[in-house]
Amino acid sequence: MNPETESDDLQAEAGEYVLGTMSAVERQALEARMSSSPALRDAVAAWEARLLPLAYLAEPVEPSPWLWDRIRRSLQVRLADMPKRTAAPSRWQAIWRNLHLWRGLALAGCAAAVLLGGLLSARITAPPAVRYVVVLTAPQSEAPGWIVQASSARRIRLTPLATMTVPEGKALQFWTKGEGWNAPVSLGLLQSGQSLQVSLDALPPLQPNQLFELTLEPATGSPTGRPTGPIQYIGRAVQVM
Amino acid sequence: MDDLAGFDYEAALAACAAGDADALRRLYEHEGPRMLGVVRRIVRNQALAEDIVHDACINIWTRAASFDATRGSARGWIFSVTRHLALNAIRDNHEIAVDDETAAVLDAEAALVAWQASADALAWRTGTGRMAHCLEQLEPVRRSCVLHAYVEGLTHSEIARRIGTPLGTVKAWIRRSLDALRECLT
Repeated sequence: MNPETESDDLQAEAGEYVLGTMSAVERQALEARMSSSPALRDAVAAWEARLLPLAYLAEPVEPSPWLWDRIRRSLQVRLADMPKRTAAPSRWQAIWRNLHLWRGLALAGCAAAVLLGGLLSARITAPPAVRYVVVLTAPQSEAPGWIVQASSARRIRLTPLATMTVPEGKALQFWTKGEGWNAPVSLGLLQSGQSLQVSLDALPPLQPNQLFELTLEPATGSPTGRPTGPIQYIGRAVQVM
Repeated sequence: MDDLAGFDYEAALAACAAGDADALRRLYEHEGPRMLGVVRRIVRNQALAEDIVHDACINIWTRAASFDATRGSARGWIFSVTRHLALNAIRDNHEIAVDDETAAVLDAEAALVAWQASADALAWRTGTGRMAHCLEQLEPVRRSCVLHAYVEGLTHSEIARRIGTPLGTVKAWIRRSLDALRECLT
């Protein structure tokens, strides 16, 4: 075989390898030869560079939000296995290698995965039935005044059960506060007798015992962003099957 | 080599090799969607594709020190690590079932058309030298073979079945197309 033909064959092989047409066996055989053949390695590298623009023909796909957490956890295992990659780790690297931090993050990641898994399976399997109910009652009389129904953890509807007159220049403001939140969050203003549909997209998913209340506020809503007027109705979320 | 967005792949790999995990995160944030896009076209399964991108990132991290800038671009290295993992995965699982042949034929064509029509086409052309021109020099059916192989990871026989052409012909077309591309791109 003359050198030119040999070089052509090498080019063809390297090209087919990079193009991706080879079988598993052929791929493994070629990869094994690459370690001992600089010419083959160079030919493959040249083909990788030549054909790289074709990779940009595939449309980008947004990875799942938890993929990076998986990668990070795998990386953590490797970092723990080989601690001395550089002589003096920077402060950032010291933080990165802090096992406690990682355990915390891994736990948080697991919790988030469980939560997301729950949410996803709920979305797939749950019939469009009510899953949370809150009955808002007057603090003194405990007379039910409003009902909050959640057909998902993201969307709730507030419906009046009785008529109630709101004084002139005032409005009812609808609030919620979950366990561990610093302050109630406003879900909107309403007049008596109105029903109100609220999206909870900006909030954490509904949780059992989450507090809901209606307070009497100025017509334009609480000036402070927190409840200032008297509580008219109050109740906590109850999960229903 | 920087890309159009000014991302320095070589520096990212060097930082990975030095143990800076934040560099891998930056690389993932910058190139993750493209890596996943490339892999998903080949394996045609989102969950498997994400597994492979995971493995690719770990590979890039552990092998970053072996990257040699004199032998190719950092970006090319990253994509070849990723693509070969995807190719190995589908080859190890034997030939994947082609469920919708027509749609898939259109896919490869659509990819080319989409790229030609895309707003990035000019940047793509400028950024990738003569590839666009050279690809256009190939006969359409041969160009499709090349795209089926590279973008979709099909073997010779899969391509032959896909386009309804004898295996020997497909092999010859691809080999000649590679020769033509190499000549044209040199």
